[in-house]
Amino acid sequence: MSDWQPKITTFLCNWCSYGAADLAGVSRFQYPHNFRIIRVPCSARVSPKFILAAFRHGADGVWVSG
Amino acid sequence: MITFKLNGQEVQGEEGQYILQVAEKYGVEIPTLCHHKALEPAGMCRLCTVELFDGRRTRFVTACNYPIWEGMEVNADSEAVLEGRRLIVELLLARCPDVPIIKQLAEEYGIKEPRFAKEDDDCILCGLCTRICEKMGNSAISLTGRGVEMKVDTPFHTQTDVCMACGACVSVCPTGHIKLEDITRHIPEPILSEYDMGLAGRKPIYVPYAQAIPNTPVIDRTKCVHFKTGGCKICTEFCGVDAIDHSQEDEIVELQVGAIILAPGFQPFDPTGFDSYNYASHPNVVTSMEFERILSASGPTLGHLVRMSDHKEPKKVAWLQCVGSRDVNQCDHSYCSSVCCMYAIKEAVIAKEHAGNDLDCAIFFMDMRTHGKDFERYYDDAREKHDVRFIRSRVHKINPDEKTDDLVIRYVAESGEPMDERFDMVVLSIGMETAPDVIELAEKLGIDLTEGQFCQTGSFRPVATSQEGIYVCGAFQGPKDIPQSVIEASSAAAEAGALLSPARNTLTRTKEVPEERIVVGERPRIGVFVCHCGINIAGVVDVPGVRDYAKSLPYVEYVTDNLYSCSQDTQETITQVIEENNLNRIVVAACTPKTHEPLFQETLVNAGLNRYLFEMTNIRNQDSWVHKDDPDMATGKAKDLVRMAVSKVALLEPLPEAELDVNENAFVIGGGISGMVSAWALSKQGYKVHLIEKEASLGGQALNLFKTWRGEDVQENLSGLIRSVEDDPNIDLHLSTQLTGVEGFVGNFKSTLKSGNEEQVVEHGIAVLATGAAEYSPDEYLYGDDPRVVTHLELDRRFINDDPSLKDIRTAVFIQCVGSREPERPYCSRVCCTHTMESALNLKEINPDIKVYVLYRDIRTYGERESLYRKAREVGVIFIRYSLDEKPRVSKGEERLEIQVIDHALKRPLTFKADLLSLASAIVPYKDETLARFFKVPMNEDGFFVEAHAKLGPSEFATDGVFLCGTAHYPKPVDEAVAQAQAASSRAVTLLAQKKIAMSGTIAQVNPAYCSSCGVCIAICPFSAPSFLDEGPFAGKADVNPVLCKGCGLCVASCRSGALNLKGFGEEQIMAMVNEI
Repeated sequence: MSDWQPKITTFLCNWCSYGAADLAGVSRFQYPHNFRIIRVPCSARVSPKFILAAFRHGADGVWVSG
Repeated sequence: MITFKLNGQEVQGEEGQYILQVAEKYGVEIPTLCHHKALEPAGMCRLCTVELFDGRRTRFVTACNYPIWEGMEVNADSEAVLEGRRLIVELLLARCPDVPIIKQLAEEYGIKEPRFAKEDDDCILCGLCTRICEKMGNSAISLTGRGVEMKVDTPFHTQTDVCMACGACVSVCPTGHIKLEDITRHIPEPILSEYDMGLAGRKPIYVPYAQAIPNTPVIDRTKCVHFKTGGCKICTEFCGVDAIDHSQEDEIVELQVGAIILAPGFQPFDPTGFDSYNYASHPNVVTSMEFERILSASGPTLGHLVRMSDHKEPKKVAWLQCVGSRDVNQCDHSYCSSVCCMYAIKEAVIAKEHAGNDLDCAIFFMDMRTHGKDFERYYDDAREKHDVRFIRSRVHKINPDEKTDDLVIRYVAESGEPMDERFDMVVLSIGMETAPDVIELAEKLGIDLTEGQFCQTGSFRPVATSQEGIYVCGAFQGPKDIPQSVIEASSAAAEAGALLSPARNTLTRTKEVPEERIVVGERPRIGVFVCHCGINIAGVVDVPGVRDYAKSLPYVEYVTDNLYSCSQDTQETITQVIEENNLNRIVVAACTPKTHEPLFQETLVNAGLNRYLFEMTNIRNQDSWVHKDDPDMATGKAKDLVRMAVSKVALLEPLPEAELDVNENAFVIGGGISGMVSAWALSKQGYKVHLIEKEASLGGQALNLFKTWRGEDVQENLSGLIRSVEDDPNIDLHLSTQLTGVEGFVGNFKSTLKSGNEEQVVEHGIAVLATGAAEYSPDEYLYGDDPRVVTHLELDRRFINDDPSLKDIRTAVFIQCVGSREPERPYCSRVCCTHTMESALNLKEINPDIKVYVLYRDIRTYGERESLYRKAREVGVIFIRYSLDEKPRVSKGEERLEIQVIDHALKRPLTFKADLLSLASAIVPYKDETLARFFKVPMNEDGFFVEAHAKLGPSEFATDGVFLCGTAHYPKPVDEAVAQAQAASSRAVTLLAQKKIAMSGTIAQVNPAYCSSCGVCIAICPFSAPSFLDEGPFAGKADVNPVLCKGCGLCVASCRSGALNLKGFGEEQIMAMVNEI
């Protein structure tokens, strides 16, 4: 179990959190690589359907930030 | 290319490369202690010795300085090599038994104890220090002596002046042998980061701060070694695109301009000179600017709240207000800096958020000045919900406790008692001042300054300097916060725009674009461009691997990798590639779309493709930069990201960007100062304006104002303004007129006006709401019962009329905050404190013997208005504080009014007999809900209109084409109302000047067949974009106005019937990405 890594699907708002993720890069913060970011125009765009679909496709967690 | 064998594997390197460089490229590890990329190799440590077979025989060479040649065979880990290396390490260990890096090497090679006699040295004679010193252009140190006597030394073994204490030798020394103090007579000076307020260091070549635009490094010539010695230039060798040019000189550029706007800002006050606060001598006394950096996630402590002396988390933090403000004893700043109270509260609340609620925050203040919109609520919350302590006092001294690094604050409490309280950390809330070079600039330009060294302006032209054509905005105009600075910025633009309006569009050029290719019905042909970004991406991610992987994805027809995808020549190549390969979808895997998407979209347009057939994926900021230590995973992530982007781009459709004509007429509601200035400013910028006023005459509330705080006569200026509006042929005046209906949206409004029985429909492109506010009519303090009790405006009316009875008043009392800052109306009305000072001074001028008492809660004469407060005290006005739970009591008395108040210092009731009681009554909004509905704009709970953004969009609404100014926004004095009126006009002109509005392609769209007419989309859209169709086959179904839609997708995610979709971020497109994770 110790090697197990969760797979996280992430929805980030273009105007805030996506920019913050960019800034984390500019600041060279190092963080785990096991999530994949989908850029959305606003966190309001994230329909519950996307979250369910992510789980259906094997995500262990879904992170919506905006 | 030279091909040879390394450890049996065929490898390739460039002519002139050394073995070590090629080994590094192929990931073959060869240990070395004396190698540095910036220096020519010297083969000093011998650790990199490898076995070389030249076809006939085997020999040992040092990999760092042996050039490669065709056909050679190198073995870097044969038994003989390892044996030799082990011996070298053993000898080094004997020489330097206590050096960590040698001990670690010894452990790697299985050596516990050297067989040779141990020495007590820590220099391995690698020569890195002497070589780097030479490279720096200095040669202050060299290897001296021979054989066993060899060592690194300065000439004559003394400290030398030649060394500049640059520290290069120390930074390259692998063993820690080099000590700068042995070498130099100079004391090394750390290079402090200006952005981090000196709490962290920076390099001589640096990006000023992470969000800097352009995000390009600069060289600090005063610190860079090259500019001192002519040496170094290591940065030039490492820059992959030869961008660094040390020979650049400052240039003088001459520009022909019609107007100048000064926005030089302020400099934070330096409290070093305040000995009693120990700022200069104690690390735990910091300024508020330094504290901002400590709280910042990108700051020196990464947002972790610690004090500087020992990096311990503080338990108690104190803020001291008015440091460098409202102070003529220790510094020459009599003005209030306006912003410090609010930022101190904000810092205290955020500090508690960072450190948890156990943190005790105390703010020591004189008057709490939270006079901005919604600021008073923030103050109330800080006190009541966040338990921030507010202590009214002025601090005398901060005494450091040497044992604990704590700080003991000595202050006098309101009761007069001296108190001591211990804190872990103290923040000085420093004020603003004009920088000396700005004062010099002002002198050069010949513009007048105020007593406080801010730019001199007038209340009716608040951004015009004393020189025509030179305008000012921001803190140089007077201390102010962000919203007011933003307002003035637009206001200055309006002034400049009016001055230059005849020249508008005379220097513009039109861009030519090729016709768009129709790709509908074509099978996707995707091109994928993977960027190296120099070494930024390629240094971690296997870019060719990602490129080859992309080739295997469905519909991908073309792949390539670029050194810099954003460079001009790459754009041209991409254009060419699109045309040659008939590509119809493009993916760029590079940096962030937030900065570079528009550039690539432009390239698509130049290649005849619709700009929305593009997807960018971020393998730099969100991949290579954040997973530096795990190249394999980073490469895997990059492949995933490219796969996700390809799956989405295949489903993208060309989106139209329709254009909409803008009606060039403007529409201003409200004929007070704000409305008139706004109309006049629009007219001066060349537009026709309809100005609507419900009353029969212009002027609004200003008709009752006597003087501005600067002493200008309001009536004189107002009648001038009314005349110029009435005489303006561009302004169509509609007096005694009501607005009865509004239809349409930005660019195309239709408003119905009713005057008497006549109705008229006016078409306009934009609207400015300047409907103002009114004076509150108090229901306490005998107002209405006794004619001697008046409001501010009533007293002003008597001043305007030169009422002779004013001379006979022996005692006048002012009560502040009447109807403001009370539970029912929790906001501060902003203007009343200053107004009271003006009235009190006027009364004193009329009758110098008059006694004037001001009963107040906090005096809020912000900015340079503070001078009025000072003058009032100087002429003998008495100020007595009361609290909300012990409000003054007023009775009719026998002959004169009797006013009783509990004195806070004496804790005793005081009674005055007065002939006049002036109430500083609140400013209340009209709460015109019909108007709000007409233009679909929001109101806050107090009834003031809510702007698009509290800080950055103060003069406009979130609804496009509708603008806001004056007291309908929030209570404000004449100068601020004028500034905002000009600002609203300036924001409006940005729309009117376009003549056509281009709509974004990424907007929501309704499929009427699925719409159930539930109305959720209409209710939740903050921009009023959806509405029900009135006619046609789909009447009753929802429809989205593409002009108003901002493409956020809120309605799409909320639609219960699945009738809405967001173009460019459609359900199937996002699902495609989700499926690929």
